[in-house]
Amino acid sequence: MRLALAIGTFLILVIHGIVFYNQFFHKWERNQIAYFDQAKAMAKTDAERAALADRKPRIEQIVVSNFGETRIDRCTTCHIAADDPRFGTYAEPLKSHPYSVALGDTQKDGKWERRHKFSEFGCTICHDGQGRGLDPKYAHGEDEYWPDPMLGYTVQENWRKDFAPKLKGKEYMEANCAQCHTDPNFKGTPMVAKGRQLFFTSNCYGCHRIQGLSDGTIGPDLTDVGHKWKLDYLWARIADPKSVLATSIMPKFNLDDASIKALVVFLKSRKGRNFSETELQRFKDKTSGAGVVQSVLQPVEIKPGEMVKQGEKLISDRACVACHKLGDKDGGIAPDISFTGLLRDNDWVYEHFRAPRSRVADSIMPAFRFTDDEFKAMTAYLAGLRTPPAMPTPEATYKALCLRCHGEKGDGHGPIAEHLDPYPRDLTKSGFMNSKTMERLVNSIRNGVAGTSMPPWGKILDEAKAKALLDYIQTTFVKEPRRELKPHPVPEQNPVAMSTESVNRGEALFVNRCAGCHGKKADGKGANSLDILPRPRNLRNGAFVNSVSDQRLFDSILYGVQGTAMPNWVDYGLSNNDVGDLVNFIRSINPKPKGGEHAGSN
Amino acid sequence: MAVNLKRSSGGQGSVKVSRRRMLGWLSGVGLVGSGVLSAISNFVFIKPRATYGQPQRFSIGKPEDYPSGTRMALDARRICVVREGNKLAAVSTTCTHLGCIVGISDTGYACPCHGSRFDQDGNVTGGPAPRPLPWYKVTLAPNGELEVDKDIEIQPGSYLTL
Repeated sequence: MRLALAIGTFLILVIHGIVFYNQFFHKWERNQIAYFDQAKAMAKTDAERAALADRKPRIEQIVVSNFGETRIDRCTTCHIAADDPRFGTYAEPLKSHPYSVALGDTQKDGKWERRHKFSEFGCTICHDGQGRGLDPKYAHGEDEYWPDPMLGYTVQENWRKDFAPKLKGKEYMEANCAQCHTDPNFKGTPMVAKGRQLFFTSNCYGCHRIQGLSDGTIGPDLTDVGHKWKLDYLWARIADPKSVLATSIMPKFNLDDASIKALVVFLKSRKGRNFSETELQRFKDKTSGAGVVQSVLQPVEIKPGEMVKQGEKLISDRACVACHKLGDKDGGIAPDISFTGLLRDNDWVYEHFRAPRSRVADSIMPAFRFTDDEFKAMTAYLAGLRTPPAMPTPEATYKALCLRCHGEKGDGHGPIAEHLDPYPRDLTKSGFMNSKTMERLVNSIRNGVAGTSMPPWGKILDEAKAKALLDYIQTTFVKEPRRELKPHPVPEQNPVAMSTESVNRGEALFVNRCAGCHGKKADGKGANSLDILPRPRNLRNGAFVNSVSDQRLFDSILYGVQGTAMPNWVDYGLSNNDVGDLVNFIRSINPKPKGGEHAGSN
Repeated sequence: MAVNLKRSSGGQGSVKVSRRRMLGWLSGVGLVGSGVLSAISNFVFIKPRATYGQPQRFSIGKPEDYPSGTRMALDARRICVVREGNKLAAVSTTCTHLGCIVGISDTGYACPCHGSRFDQDGNVTGGPAPRPLPWYKVTLAPNGELEVDKDIEIQPGSYLTL
């Protein structure tokens, strides 16, 4: 018992001693004493030696309040020789900060003078790190919870091992230079300038917003991304988006390391606030927006003779294949554009470039800011792509043309299906497939479905080939044999004349009967829509609605759409006149097609 | 311990006592030592090693910025830089009475709050101030800039010779 007590108290003493030593005898004190000794040996006068003899180790700090919030930098506690030019060749921490013309330092009579004096700027304003830290691990930000590890020097332990070595290098500090030196062409920040250029030429601006620079809405706002995230996250997010967030829809751009580095530096410099900005500048940035894009991108001058060539260059330079498939390059997000010339006419492609949603109502493709001439050149190039893929058998045809959207199993879950709206048709649903006439299915293949991503395949598949393809689908995916279809008794044309009263009656009916799934705005996003696959049709998709005849609308409403959630409304008491009102209402909320009437009125 | 063992190396019974004693000593030293260390730590802990104010040691620029005959008050730093010929000094401008910032007058310094007056060397010539204005240590740093250390007060009248 006594022995245990003795050992116990002795152990407590030892622990106390260790704690005491750790708390009151610091590495930085030894550094400072070493510095005083070295400096004394170098001193030329007695006064200098005496002054050094007076100095005792203590915490040195620089308080900087000129740039935003007050910074307290105690870096010089260890790096005490940072501003002592005699220590240029010493090892860290007793090394003087190098002088450099690039930093604006000047040399006069063999003596350097700093442009950024430490007493005015501190250290963390350029280097990041934890200014108040006195232990190297915490001061340098090696602790994984510290948001700003020293830029380009410190790699935190939890960073991805394959990216970590690429995140070193003093170029990363340019991100902090750009906090004050906001001029896009500032000589000292070439990486920021390159990253900014890439942000536009790689079409990042189409999806992402950065206040004052771009206004994309698909991806997250990047205005203060540098403030929120560390280098490793930014790098991983660009190099391999899905590794950070499995559900990310950001394409993998396959950039080289140098380009990713430039983008990371540029993004790191986006902190949402700049020390040097005045309120007026901030206001200007807020209101300028899109103009910047054009000024950075510098439009290509399109020469009439070389449109196709220049269009090809634009399409390969501006990261179109980050989403689309073109030849053997495949972004895996958007449709194959390798044979656009066979699918779409020039007018469609050009208008789709200018405003994708004017052709496919729910497309996620952003409207990129090219000039009209550039759009025309790209259209000319795409229109020239008229080589269909080799497809000897219907199976090969399915794989070459349909699989990308409708999927390997024909269930509509193709590789790019999640990015399409409306979702590709599930070809295994025999209820739907067998309730539509062969003629209608062939028509959908050969003429496409307007307002959706289903293109008209007519120039690639003639009637016989389309039928062969349908036979293949029937035996492989539908699996049930087709049965004889009895035509439903529906009027060929809407018996109710279009009038305000009819539209109003239709609207009242729509709100009562249809809005639950098709939504109050008729945009297909009703309360029940998320539980239903295929999703309810967006009835504001003008191109689609205008392509559908009255007869088909009557059929779908009165007798339902088999294989979907659309019921037989004839069983719920809707008369032909009621449906006529509904059709008039649906027609009335869509713009009339150019130069004529909708498909039903001929 | 050695003394203990020697003293108690008499009979067989006393070995037991000495062991007990030694253990007692060990425990005692452990306890008292821990107590002393914690007491010292507490006392050291009371005085902060760093505060969040402006640093006491700071640079005031190059000697060329202060031509001969200068008496320049740096209010943010609360010092007055005095240069005469190649001699330079830093005098506090914090009044020793209630801490107002004293202004420079023809004869020395004058406090606007309660009328304390000081001569050019900071000695009190009138008013309620109890002590003369302190002088601070000025050194020429290796990078060619002047450094003032407000932690070190020096004898009034002792200048840095450039």
